[in-house]
Amino acid sequence: MSAIAALLIFPGGVFLLLVGMIYEWIDRKLVARFQNRMGPRWFQPLADTIKLLAKEEVVPDGVDARLFFTLPVIALAGAMTAALYVPLVGFEASYSFSGDLIVTVYMLSLLTLGTGLAGANTLNRFSLIGATRTLTQLFSYEAPFLLALLGPAIVADSWQIGEITDYAGDHVWLLVTQPIGFLVALIGLMGKLELPPFDAPEAETEIVAGALTEYSGRGLALFHLGKGVELVIGLTLVAAFYLGGVTHPLIFVAKTLALLSILAGLQALMTRLRIDQTVGLWWRYGALLVLAQFLALIVWEGVM
Amino acid sequence: MPTTPTQENDVFRIPIGPQHPALKEPGHFEFTVDGEVVTAATLRLGYVHRGIEKGTEGRNWIQSLYLLERVCGICSHVHATAYCLGVEKLAGVEAPPRAQAIRVLVAELERIHSHMLWLGVAAHEAGFDMLFMYSWRDRETVMNLLEGITGNRVNYSANQLGGVKCDIDGEQADDIRVGLDFLEGRIKHYLDVVSQDTMFLRRTRGIGVMTREDCERMGIVGPTARASGVELDLRVHAPYAAYPEHPVNLVTATAGDLEARFIVRVNELFESIRLIREILDDLPEGDLSVRVPRRIPAGETISRVEAPRGELFYYIKSNRSDMADRVKVRTPTLPNMASVLEIAVGHQLADIPMILTGIDPCFSCNDRMVAINDPSRGEQAWTWEQLRQYGIEYYR
Repeated sequence: MSAIAALLIFPGGVFLLLVGMIYEWIDRKLVARFQNRMGPRWFQPLADTIKLLAKEEVVPDGVDARLFFTLPVIALAGAMTAALYVPLVGFEASYSFSGDLIVTVYMLSLLTLGTGLAGANTLNRFSLIGATRTLTQLFSYEAPFLLALLGPAIVADSWQIGEITDYAGDHVWLLVTQPIGFLVALIGLMGKLELPPFDAPEAETEIVAGALTEYSGRGLALFHLGKGVELVIGLTLVAAFYLGGVTHPLIFVAKTLALLSILAGLQALMTRLRIDQTVGLWWRYGALLVLAQFLALIVWEGVM
Repeated sequence: MPTTPTQENDVFRIPIGPQHPALKEPGHFEFTVDGEVVTAATLRLGYVHRGIEKGTEGRNWIQSLYLLERVCGICSHVHATAYCLGVEKLAGVEAPPRAQAIRVLVAELERIHSHMLWLGVAAHEAGFDMLFMYSWRDRETVMNLLEGITGNRVNYSANQLGGVKCDIDGEQADDIRVGLDFLEGRIKHYLDVVSQDTMFLRRTRGIGVMTREDCERMGIVGPTARASGVELDLRVHAPYAAYPEHPVNLVTATAGDLEARFIVRVNELFESIRLIREILDDLPEGDLSVRVPRRIPAGETISRVEAPRGELFYYIKSNRSDMADRVKVRTPTLPNMASVLEIAVGHQLADIPMILTGIDPCFSCNDRMVAINDPSRGEQAWTWEQLRQYGIEYYR
């Protein structure tokens, strides 16, 4: 019974989707206010979702219809499964086993992978370019992002999210001891969510909506929901690892919101990077910096 | 994506337009890409041909003024100015000095409005929506000033044959000065942004480079040419209206890339502000207009003015009736459009929207139709109705 509740109501299911929409609204509102716009009303993400779910889904010619319908479901399911292993809003994770960090990161990648495959599945030329860019970008930020999350795992000497957060709670904030890892994790999250300046895969002035150009109704809604969920999980992971572990729910939510406002500020401030610049940035700076820190951590652990 | 150029079927073409988020007006570009790099580009225009030149032949001189003012939705005033200057030349009259000064004043305010609009659009194409939102917010100031002078925000209708319709009193002059002070501060900030923001410079510096020779060969005009070091500004080299009394300092840059186009246009804003202040301080007294005869003496003339996008060319022919015999308009976008196709090749697909916007294109202004008549076979020029019918059939 509690397993079903965990899947459908809390922390998975309805609760997660709603939190995802609220976080999406906060992000959009903040960016809008930074840009001196009014921004959406509080229920706008919900209204968008309901509208999209109610709309007819047009299946374009030349696609594999089964893939066209299943990919959005897989993408959302992957993101929501990941939620079971992270301490959402400061509560203990529903499930946990040694090595769940790797599973979580893998599940989070399903959304990007699903988006890329969805674009490659259609014949639309914007979608194909978008899919190529989505997957190119995946290969550029994924390794640094994973390394940034493994930094805390190394010092905690565990691959289990629960034990890492316990370690983070008992010691000084890892933000202080591993600043590079924190930065890379936060910016990697922006890359994962294709937020500006890493929005080349869906750059509207070049390739319309990128990989998802052909999606109109339910599929688009599911991808959007998946993105909201991933935003929540990503912020939760970064806050739990780098900002002092799992604490009182209110304080924990405040921490994730603080991270979200940093993300919104960065989004508003920066110009979109070309895809080659994105790859260059990650492999020239992101990956090397986080690798250097990783090596330093391993050496430090060995000396201790 | 397999792209072996030898096999025609394997070439990957990206269509941009006629409907595309990067284009605010319809035009059709086709870019052949190899991965992300553009290897060839083609262009098709003509989706918004409106038959305005033909339309003037069925309207009297005064009605045509209102029609021609609607050639461009952004630089409406320069079209009216070019037309009025041409017709006044044919009629042998000259607008009074105060009218000429007000013409220039409105033209410079319009230049500020046009360049700020461009600044926002170009930033948006690069994915820098912050600059887009802020420059469009500040542009409201100059729109309000124009509304205060003429009563309209876009098609100001400030000109009439033989002068202008609106006067500027002391209170309006003070409003303009206050607005300009605000704008000057903001534009200084924008100059810093476009010349110093590292992330933005990654998308503009060294992109879309056009040398001075390229510009001269392709006949590029306006700020796009001046960004490549071409010293060409009709306000300086062929001054009209009140520009002889209020000389303009030429603004150029040498780099010829997108960054230079940003810097030239932003610096032109300072020059416009300086000029407007100068005119306000030194506005000649006198009448606002002189009488222009209903029938214009037979003859032909050309009239050239500097629009925000470059040289605007009018050819006007009269056969001593109350209607124009022929009005030919060449807008600056037409020569500039050729440069897009040439410099696009070799650039990344992501740079294409910026390169296109870099020339500040205005599609509906430049769409023309050419029909060749053979008089020996008894072919006649088309009537308005035939042209309309042709247009309906063409897009069916």
